[in-house]
Amino acid sequence: MEKAERLQKLAQAVLEMDVEGIVPLVEDSLAAGLSPVEILAEGLSAGMRQVGERFKQGEIFMPEVLVSCDVYYRGLEILRPLIRQTGGGPVRGKMIIGTIYGDIHSVGKDVAVPVFQAAGYDVIDLGVDVPDERFVEAIREYEPDIVGLGTYMTSTFMHTRETVRVIEQAGLRDRVKIICGGPAVDPAAARRMGADDASDDAWEAVGKLDRLVEELRAARRSV
Amino acid sequence: MSEIVDAWVRRLKGKLRPIGEMTHWERMAAAFELRRSDLVPVAPELDYWQITYAGYSHAEIYNDVDKTTDACIRTWADLRTDAIWMYVDISHQIENFIPPEKRPEHFVHRGDKDYLLFKPVAKTIDEAIELYESRAYERYLEGSRAVTHYVPHMLQLLEFQEKMDRIVPVIVGIATPSNYAETLVEVQQFVRWTVTEPKKVKRYLDLALEERLAALDFYAEIARKHGLHFVCLFGGARTWGPRQLREFGYADEIFVQKAVKLFPYVFWHICGHNLPEAMQLLVQWDGIKAVQYDMPYYSQKLSWPEWCESVARLFAGKRCAMNSPTTQTACHGTPEDVRRMVREFLDATLPHTTAVVMPGCEVDSYSPVENVRAMIEEARRKPLP
Repeated sequence: MEKAERLQKLAQAVLEMDVEGIVPLVEDSLAAGLSPVEILAEGLSAGMRQVGERFKQGEIFMPEVLVSCDVYYRGLEILRPLIRQTGGGPVRGKMIIGTIYGDIHSVGKDVAVPVFQAAGYDVIDLGVDVPDERFVEAIREYEPDIVGLGTYMTSTFMHTRETVRVIEQAGLRDRVKIICGGPAVDPAAARRMGADDASDDAWEAVGKLDRLVEELRAARRSV
Repeated sequence: MSEIVDAWVRRLKGKLRPIGEMTHWERMAAAFELRRSDLVPVAPELDYWQITYAGYSHAEIYNDVDKTTDACIRTWADLRTDAIWMYVDISHQIENFIPPEKRPEHFVHRGDKDYLLFKPVAKTIDEAIELYESRAYERYLEGSRAVTHYVPHMLQLLEFQEKMDRIVPVIVGIATPSNYAETLVEVQQFVRWTVTEPKKVKRYLDLALEERLAALDFYAEIARKHGLHFVCLFGGARTWGPRQLREFGYADEIFVQKAVKLFPYVFWHICGHNLPEAMQLLVQWDGIKAVQYDMPYYSQKLSWPEWCESVARLFAGKRCAMNSPTTQTACHGTPEDVRRMVREFLDATLPHTTAVVMPGCEVDSYSPVENVRAMIEEARRKPLP
């Protein structure tokens, strides 16, 4: 099988939610000599981009998107240690992400994380119901560019103010950009609460991440 | 007999200034029956908001039925909305699925204005099925908050409704099979299983339906003895796609068929990003009189007025439309944003069907009082066509 054909099959497996088929496909591709970075960037991630396009067109819906994300993850689990060994490909930025304190929903984050990874971000997922102090620890530990706060209810979105305050109090606010995500967020309200932006659409959020990382790097250069 | 209810009845009965020519009850009933009312009804789902508006914290009312009821009536007496929504928290809904000794692990009070955080009762579809097959909900019912708090509070509000001679209706929320099925395991898991475990999901939904149909018998008795007329069916299925609606929508449909025979004024609550196919189903399900709908689905590129008009056209001659402002605007917007959104909803809707001003989901606890007042004032100001 040609390389292009293999990559297309990988992308197709993500798009068609092939939960069982993805692992042998990734293993076969590795055995055929494709690099882990190629498989990720041109196979799995290409599939995730197609998932986004079809979702935006109203051709697939949230349940299918979630399962496609699971398929992407299954493939990524095999590739991640190999990519780490080889130093990996280019990274657009580093991000920590977690569902804000008091909120156990992950339906949005489960989509956002693979979309961001597929777009070239190094994403560390802190899980759900993440205490504010954990965000502080994770900023110190991982030194990210972006902190992503998943908030899925209006009342938990309001906790953004408190999370930002704790990050500020720890003296870390200038080191990161903070973005809220979820169906109940509002960019203006997020800024009023001290965050930098918000989005209810993972694919749209990639553009916002790029802009925030650029702003952060410009601020770092000017210091 | 409830002292708190009697105290409020003594204070209010025969002393309230009329809002218009109709009573609140008549206004809501007219809208539901697609008849002209004197004013556009306004009945926001005040939920947790009314607790803090009345001066209580959530921790304070959590174990006090009288204070909960007091908060609901006090808020209504101040704002004179066209319905009183009973207060419900998540522990009312699912505590009877959890052994008493494990309940503290499942519910967390975070702050005075915050929703009760709950943790899923089952982690796998097999565990969820087992919960129903073992009839855990019957075994743990006694002593659960469904019995000790939810029902007494509902009965107090219905007592108020009846003693006030039905000038204002009480809205009781009843969760549907899909809502229960999703809540017990968390929606993100359930939704995945609709794709990966469709047969088990069907079994699970069948069991949830069986329990919910039996619950309706209980509510029917409440309706007969205590005057329950206005019922909100809290739908789940908010993140389903068209395939899920086709394959699994049957459980809610069967539930609706029974509910509409028991209560005169049944409406459906569908919050989140609404799929056009879901709205079409709600028009097809006979007997639902109104739909509390929310925002358009992600892939629909519609402005707010366009969205409201498209729903109103779909509902014409069939359903009353309930919406506006969004929960998010009620919380984060200005009073002028709220007024504009209400106006746009009414301008787009009233040429086609009747309307009730009611955000697509609850009014969040953090929503400013002036925004809620703006919502009510704008509805009252709107001349009917």
